[in-house]
Amino acid sequence: MSSKLAKAETLYRAIQSRKAIPRLTAEEDFSIAVGYEIQEELLKLQAGQVVGLKMGMTSKAKMLQMKIDAPIFGVLTKEMLIANRAQYSLSQLIHPRIEPEIAFLTKRELSGNPSGEEALAACESVAAALEVIDSRYEDFSFTLADVVADNCSAAGFVIGAWHPISVPVDNLGMVLKVNGSPVQFGSSAALLGDPVLSLVELVKLLAKQGKSLPAGSIVLAGAATAAVPLNIGDHVAVEVEKLGTAEIYAC
Amino acid sequence: MQESPIHTQLAQQLWEARIQASPCEPLSNTASTLTIPDAYSISDINMRRRVAQGAVRLVGKKIGLTSLAVQKQLQVLEPDFGYLTSDMQFADEAILPISTLIAPKVEGEVAFVLKKELRGPGVDRAAVLAATDYLLPVIEIIDSRVRDWKIKIVDTIADNASSAAYILGKERHAIKELDFALAGMALFLNGEVASTGVAMACLGHPADAVAWLANTMARFGQSLLPGEIILSGAFGPVVPVFEGDHVLVKISGLGKVECRFSGGNS
Repeated sequence: MSSKLAKAETLYRAIQSRKAIPRLTAEEDFSIAVGYEIQEELLKLQAGQVVGLKMGMTSKAKMLQMKIDAPIFGVLTKEMLIANRAQYSLSQLIHPRIEPEIAFLTKRELSGNPSGEEALAACESVAAALEVIDSRYEDFSFTLADVVADNCSAAGFVIGAWHPISVPVDNLGMVLKVNGSPVQFGSSAALLGDPVLSLVELVKLLAKQGKSLPAGSIVLAGAATAAVPLNIGDHVAVEVEKLGTAEIYAC
Repeated sequence: MQESPIHTQLAQQLWEARIQASPCEPLSNTASTLTIPDAYSISDINMRRRVAQGAVRLVGKKIGLTSLAVQKQLQVLEPDFGYLTSDMQFADEAILPISTLIAPKVEGEVAFVLKKELRGPGVDRAAVLAATDYLLPVIEIIDSRVRDWKIKIVDTIADNASSAAYILGKERHAIKELDFALAGMALFLNGEVASTGVAMACLGHPADAVAWLANTMARFGQSLLPGEIILSGAFGPVVPVFEGDHVLVKISGLGKVECRFSGGNS
């Protein structure tokens, strides 16, 4: 029976060596709560500068598939941030995928159990975003506790231009394009019916751990569509109604 | 399109299946050489029969197979169309008798209500926008009179593009109010989001689907007329519905439309 630190080290080695591992729970089952403790150990090993959080499993379809009733979260670090329209090397990744997202930037601390209105009022701005995910597990095969331990597969993210929150964000049309061709269609409503509700769920999850969401946090509210494989040479763009685009050139 | 005894017979089969809410076998099983023009002939026969008594009017058309995913599934390269009659139309917040349907599904989309004639060929997006009076959010209820939705392209075309009913929202919006290609669609089933999409998923732009229809009708010597209601095609995946279900569709910039499915006869 290996310790939480040993499990985090196994994940850390997978990242460093760019070699996928069997899911950790195959050897020994552990709870989602333990998954979050392993995630914390992993982040300590990576020694990144925390800039925000990402939500996972925010679509009803994924929640049903994984038999869960609440989303999960991971941590975003400055090292994961990719400039909009930048070249992005895949050489450090195992089997990257990319998905279209909505990002919030908070201006006030959020804690406890805020209403949607309170959560929105605590936001400075909103943006189109792309998230690169790269499970450290073979074939993206994992339990919920595994993926939490693996920092929810977080690898990189791109934020488009920030917009003040002056328009409703509950049903913004979204299109994911790869090399100019639309490949996924959706709406921001795919995130729990309204991405603001995803932000609320995040604050509630943090509250359970005795934490709050600090002012100045970037929050990726969840994927609006299924993820698509990201390959060298791909130009990937998400277009979001009223929010513009976030783009990446994979190399 | 020539009417023949086999067309009449297959039209009758679909007519009975609809009236009795009891599915029939795929037409493509019994008539394996059925072509797409044959299928439109069958659809025409039932539309004319439906409006023949005078109580029911022809009010417009629906465009189907507007998503590349669905076209791929049915191995076709273009959309199809069916007819909308006045008895298929319901008002916002209507309660629909589910017992009249076989295996219904719902989808979120928009209706173009025309103020000018659109006569092809050569109709393009700009012509459609110029001829459009206003848009409405719509729930379309599709239903296959063919057992278990085992449809090939000719089955669905003959079956009025699998259309059963549609619910029109109340708010009228001019299309120019919107950055329309990116308009979001969210369909909620009993309060939970069940399908999302975007206008662009409908053939790149819903107005392009209407242009396709106008140009296709021109091949039959017909045009789209002022006052016609054109459902341009789904913005996102379809969702099956059952007795008691409540459906709400929101289209960004166009408001909402909702309906409920009851049990029992009506």
